[in-house]
Amino acid sequence: MSGALDIGLPGMIAAYGLLVVPLAMLLWQGVPILGRVGVAVVRMTVQLLLVGLYLQVVFNQDHLWLNCVWVLVMIAVADISILRHCRLRIRAFGLPLFVALVIGTAVPLLFFTALILKRPQMLEARFLIPIGGMILGNCLRADIIGLRHFYETIDRDAKAFEHTLAQGATLREATQPYLREAFQNAVAPTLATMMTIGLVSLPGMMTGVILGGQPPLTAIKYQVGIMIAIFTGTAIAVPCGILLTLKKGFLPSGPLNRDALVR
Amino acid sequence: MRECMLHISSLEVAMGGKQVLNRFSLEVAAGERLLVTAPSGAGKSTLLRCVLGFITPDRGTIRLNGHALDGASIWGLRHHMAYVAQEPVLGNGTVQELLERPFTYHANRERRENLARIPSLLEQLALSPDILGQELRSLSGGEKQRIALLAALLLDRPLLLLDEIIASLDRTSADAVFSVLAGLAGVTVLAVGHHETALPHADRIVALHAAEMEDAR
Repeated sequence: MSGALDIGLPGMIAAYGLLVVPLAMLLWQGVPILGRVGVAVVRMTVQLLLVGLYLQVVFNQDHLWLNCVWVLVMIAVADISILRHCRLRIRAFGLPLFVALVIGTAVPLLFFTALILKRPQMLEARFLIPIGGMILGNCLRADIIGLRHFYETIDRDAKAFEHTLAQGATLREATQPYLREAFQNAVAPTLATMMTIGLVSLPGMMTGVILGGQPPLTAIKYQVGIMIAIFTGTAIAVPCGILLTLKKGFLPSGPLNRDALVR
Repeated sequence: MRECMLHISSLEVAMGGKQVLNRFSLEVAAGERLLVTAPSGAGKSTLLRCVLGFITPDRGTIRLNGHALDGASIWGLRHHMAYVAQEPVLGNGTVQELLERPFTYHANRERRENLARIPSLLEQLALSPDILGQELRSLSGGEKQRIALLAALLLDRPLLLLDEIIASLDRTSADAVFSVLAGLAGVTVLAVGHHETALPHADRIVALHAAEMEDAR
């Protein structure tokens, strides 16, 4: 089998031409979002064009440090995005969460490239960046759910939490039930995806491998590997994200540090 | 003369732009039962929460058994205190689970045998043994307060901090609580309430604002 088919200029014009259908449907129903659709399409095109050009350079260079820097930039962007979604202060939580994301992404990523794909050069750009992005994207989603649940629940249960501290619990003991619940909620979407994968739609990596010209059975092996890597990444990033932010998230005497929350 | 257990000196706390405690000072002797009275919103709960380390005062010091209370020392000093809140939020689960939970914490594991005192304390607090299997969310306000007191007493701590513990109690239940408190030997009690009926057996009653003014002079 050959590699993925390239799409020529007429093909891309046809792809944009397909937009006529949703635009016509929106106009027909009088949905007033035509401007937003236009902005979204332009943004998508420009962003992907820039990333594509940059990745082309990175892939051509395939320099170890450049690849690592790119993954670290992706992690930094995810870090800021999680904290904004969770309404937690970047100054307080940025570094500890960054460390948690690095661990959560690096462990399954290096395992995947070195032991599953058995690549001699495990920091190769064409594996490191897309697979790292898939793992990181899921860590981001899980950390948003986990961190938000953890800090919001303790904020809401402040009296019960303080009662636990008053009974002599250490910070780890007092936060443990909240961490357990946040962890469970955070990995639930990944587990649900694993339960229904292949039945509802073909997952992204499997689709990519098939489009790349590989047989479906090869694509399945990739998909199983990446799903386990994603689950591993979320299972590391969520508890690490919570545990590493405890010092900034709580006052030295135990109560929640509300100054670290954006209200 | 009894040794001073709790020493509060010139405590100042401002919250939401309002001065809640203003140069408040107090000494509580070991074994003393002290009641601090003040109207609602005057800073009674704030005072107890400062002692527990949940609020960091703007100024002033708190010493327990001679040790200054701060972010590092409070973790050890809390093992000398038990606290009953005005409206206890007890979480989920059954009463039995609530009472057993503190003994899973490292600090209390050695006192697990105190759980054997549950039946007698239930009786003294006019609570039925059947309550142990009840869900916490199904308890009335008065039951919650007595269960919270029971949980505090099981910890066997030398300093008991009580925040308006009879606020939700009827006369009979309140009498049962007072009877239990009167029978505590060697336990120091710092209670806060609206008026003297909050702790009828108090050795001393201090009006919160009087303690502030006395210090200001």
